[in-house]
Amino acid sequence: MKWKIFSRKRRKEHWRLIFKPDGDVADVMALPGAVVEGHIAGRYLLASSVTPGTVIIQGVGQKGILAGVDVAVDHKAASEHDVDVAYQPRGGRASLRPAETINFEEMMLKASEEFVSVSTTPKDLACILYTSGTTGRPKGVKLTIKNFLCEQQSAEQALDVTPKDKIIGVLPFFHVFGLSNVLHLGLVHGASIVLVPQYSPGILLKIIMESRPTLMIAIPTMFVHMLTLLKRKKVRLPDSIRLSVSGAAPLPKEMIDAFEQCSGCRVLEGYGLTETVAACCLNPPDGVCKAGSIGVPLPGFEMRIVDTDGKELPLGEVGEIAVRGEGVTAGYYKLPQDTEEAFRDGWFFTGDIGYQDQDGYFFVTDRKKEIIIKGGLNISPREVEDVLLRHPVVKEAAVIGKRKGEREEIVAFVTTRGAVSAKELISHCKQSLSNFKVPDAICFMETLPMSVTGKVLKKELTDDYRDERRIEQKETGLGSVD
Amino acid sequence: MSAESNKKRLGLVQSIERWAASLPDSVALRFEGEAITYKELNLRANQVANGLQGLGVEKGDRVAIMLPNIPEFVYVLVGTLKLGAVTVPFNTLYKGGEILHILKDSGARVLIALTNFAPMINETRPELPALKHVILTGERNLLFAHPESTAFIQLVLPGDFIKDVDGAYEKMGHILLKIMRELGVKEAWYKHRGSIRVRGEKIATFVISEVEGIALINAVVFLGPLDTRDFLRVVWVPPEIRDKVVEPLTSVQQETGKRPLWDQVKETVVAAMEKGFQVEIKEGSMVRDELFGYEKLRSLAYKPR
Repeated sequence: MKWKIFSRKRRKEHWRLIFKPDGDVADVMALPGAVVEGHIAGRYLLASSVTPGTVIIQGVGQKGILAGVDVAVDHKAASEHDVDVAYQPRGGRASLRPAETINFEEMMLKASEEFVSVSTTPKDLACILYTSGTTGRPKGVKLTIKNFLCEQQSAEQALDVTPKDKIIGVLPFFHVFGLSNVLHLGLVHGASIVLVPQYSPGILLKIIMESRPTLMIAIPTMFVHMLTLLKRKKVRLPDSIRLSVSGAAPLPKEMIDAFEQCSGCRVLEGYGLTETVAACCLNPPDGVCKAGSIGVPLPGFEMRIVDTDGKELPLGEVGEIAVRGEGVTAGYYKLPQDTEEAFRDGWFFTGDIGYQDQDGYFFVTDRKKEIIIKGGLNISPREVEDVLLRHPVVKEAAVIGKRKGEREEIVAFVTTRGAVSAKELISHCKQSLSNFKVPDAICFMETLPMSVTGKVLKKELTDDYRDERRIEQKETGLGSVD
Repeated sequence: MSAESNKKRLGLVQSIERWAASLPDSVALRFEGEAITYKELNLRANQVANGLQGLGVEKGDRVAIMLPNIPEFVYVLVGTLKLGAVTVPFNTLYKGGEILHILKDSGARVLIALTNFAPMINETRPELPALKHVILTGERNLLFAHPESTAFIQLVLPGDFIKDVDGAYEKMGHILLKIMRELGVKEAWYKHRGSIRVRGEKIATFVISEVEGIALINAVVFLGPLDTRDFLRVVWVPPEIRDKVVEPLTSVQQETGKRPLWDQVKETVVAAMEKGFQVEIKEGSMVRDELFGYEKLRSLAYKPR
């Protein structure tokens, strides 16, 4: 450790203390910022009044937020909740660069605008995207240049994207849906993308109204939020929108109808996975849209329903959905075992359960890993959830199986719009479900844990869920590195 | 092929390069009232490619991206692909163990993230020998201050105090750890370059920054429980992810049963600093130059927008 103080001086140096326990949130930035400025100015003015070290101890007298200038703050909510809002000035001495990091803007300033792209082949990796499965740690999905090429061609054939299109970029680009079906799709085909860096229903609606997009690609939660807002504000979406696509989670039929009526634009439901570079199945824009269906495979993808041995099942029968095509991943990064398990004869086994109807449309009914087995009988959590959702007070429902000794119990987690007893919900379930499918327990929740794409994170509801955000102390002792 | 369509199979990089040549003024990205053309997007991506190459990134290397939907995400993605490197975008809501797992597993050489993630990333660095560079962008820092909960401890020191950043983290971490123990939190522990925690929960945290040869150490200590609900209404966060935005926290009050008074905090901090840095600390006030700077910064902070 090289602290100057140890090596050079014998007499103790004097530092200054600035103590302000009841300042405001701007002081948290302005006090040290001013001392830093004083040091810098002092160097030029050769002022001797600046002390070598300053220690500031401060607190605030009122709740406050100190925000970077790029943070969107709801000032109305701030005054309603008595939150003082101060901003950190852009750049400048009050927003310093953390030690041992590089400033992006500085890197850009120094870099030339000319670059000859390195040559690549279609089978080179373009991206590793991590998916959090229902169990274990996120797996890296290997996506090649060819995977993306194939997906962009497939999606383009279905959605006919041209440079005249303007796509709403609200889905996060770090997720396969936004990365592939918005960023890649738009830029490969010369369209423009309207970036929405921070989602809120109000922000999204405002941006849609102002920018008049032609395509809206979003997740069910966003459609539901938009619908509520449109109804409340008694407005319609701009007529510039020619099409909307919903994916990542099911959007109930009633919602699609209500949204189409309210917005005046069609909503196509689709299906995709990180392993298929997003959409591989979609209701056709010019054909029949079937309620509750994920549509038909996109050009370049083949899909089929298989039994546990991987044999294709006849139409109408329920089994696992398998996908094949150039858009399908080459496998998981550094996980040959998982890759081998997920593929059979070139078909990728999705882990989703569903069936195909007489017209070739696919329907998803469940996640394979979520199927509850109770007394040897298979129970579909989705079926139980659907029944619970039909109760007027139930807002959201997630049903999981919990191990209890030798058997599995059905536990339903619900959020509600008003008061309702567990007993009432159970008798409601009994009216439409066979006895063995009725939940053994109902847990009332304030919110359900959800992913960015609006999927309920069921693994977080299980008893053995470990919060990955936590950092636990290693056993090797205090302050140790590893 | 007409300039109006891209029916031929062209990848993202070639497509953008082609649109930049054939329709240079056509808008690629719209962001907060600004229009970024295909030509400009291509130039920015070239700069990223050159910048990353300058940092030693080569074909096949992994470049991790932890950014929301801002233009920089697109510049970095395209620039990385131009180098033939592999992009590893990941969720900006990820914390601690999740980030560590992805960066370790992918063996990322460079990470590009928002400035506000710096402390979290810093904490993972000692365990990520492959991660050579962290590039930060954007002004999305967010700090919550609450009368009942937060105490800020800041140190401004001439830069030559800190020649060795690693050593400085170690020292400051142990001073904060000592402060927490003095305040009665016996179970507190410190992970190198990380936060002060009790079990898996954060009780104090700090980051060391530099500007023009000056070092600034910014620390926050949680004296009482921090109720973040009001804050998360102000910077709108969907209810279902609210508990993911903030790391699990605890406080002196939660650990010891009582919130320390300010005088006790002051005495404890000063004593720990005096001992740790071998200096004498006396209460003082700001001088003239500093007061000018202080007023200027405050007026910027509260400028109506």
